[in-house]
Amino acid sequence: MKVLIAATALTLGLPAVAHSPLFDCFDNGDSTATCEGAYSDGSSAAGTKIQVTLANGRVVAEGELGEKSSYDFAIPAEEYSVVFDAGHGHQIVLFGDDIY
Amino acid sequence: MKSLHASACLLAAALTAPASAHFLVVHTPEMLLDRSRDIDMSLVFTHAFDGGPSMHLDGINEFYAMQLRAGEDAMTRIDLKEYLQPIEWKEGDATVGAFKATIPRNSMRSLGDYQIVVDPVPYYEAEEDIYIQQITKVIMNVGGAPTHWDAPLGLPAEILPLNKPYTNWVGGVFRGVVLSDGQPVAGAEIEVEYLNYEPDFANHQFTEGAKVEAPLPGYEYLSVRTDANGVFVIGLPKEGWWGIGALGVGPNTEYQGKELSQDAVLWVQAKAMN
Repeated sequence: MKVLIAATALTLGLPAVAHSPLFDCFDNGDSTATCEGAYSDGSSAAGTKIQVTLANGRVVAEGELGEKSSYDFAIPAEEYSVVFDAGHGHQIVLFGDDIY
Repeated sequence: MKSLHASACLLAAALTAPASAHFLVVHTPEMLLDRSRDIDMSLVFTHAFDGGPSMHLDGINEFYAMQLRAGEDAMTRIDLKEYLQPIEWKEGDATVGAFKATIPRNSMRSLGDYQIVVDPVPYYEAEEDIYIQQITKVIMNVGGAPTHWDAPLGLPAEILPLNKPYTNWVGGVFRGVVLSDGQPVAGAEIEVEYLNYEPDFANHQFTEGAKVEAPLPGYEYLSVRTDANGVFVIGLPKEGWWGIGALGVGPNTEYQGKELSQDAVLWVQAKAMN
């Protein structure tokens, strides 16, 4: 179900706004992951806040998408999720199970 | 715009006569991906509406993607040739040479557009005693963030889309500009053909069963010419892939001592509004 929710968020972005935020993360195969964001008009999402959170709510990494609209983090050993916070209540949550 | 118009008129006069109704099919099930994934691609030189006869594809000079990430200014070239694999494509009881590729997810994982280019070795068409080279573009997108689908790549023969090629509704129109060495081509002959049989990537053949029946052979491909600015407009009346071929528009007119038709091909995908 978690994967399903995450996949839906990716597919739809956030509806009902002119430029929907889009977000995805990839396992780099070296215990790190890279997340990238953009807007549906093709513009950069640099500066957007990113938070990596464990299932118990503890934040293990946080920062912003950099100049290349990307953010790297060390993959936690336990269940986690990544929050892309585009502001104005627009958040996309991607669960660790769906980052590969 | 006036200078473009003038260039277009000059180019129109210099072009060679167009050749025939072949299409280099460069196919993957979906041009627009919600997320990055491994991409299976079939490369077959064929008659798209009839699902054959297919012709032997001698080789591929270049196979690459031009990527532009969201918010960036410069395109990056991703060479895909290492993923090409020669195959035998079923053609009735026989086979013809074709290619397939599985492009790994990591090669095209970032959000944005990927203009995939195939530059094939010219094919010798014995019936007409000419060579045909179809420089083919398929424009894909990962994640829904459009970046440079409308940017020219500077190919010798190229169709520049004026509509996003990977998001079209059935019943809409599709516009583009035909370019020869970057300049619009006035009066270029364009063939439009529906990919009437689904390519079967795993089994190297077209699946049986036509999607539509043509009332007469003349309906199997449609013809349109570019206007004075090199622009064309076509309709998209059916869900699926549509091939647009601008014939003989490239600057190279000779190959191995024979006439060469250097064509530009662009594939467009349309979805039904269900």
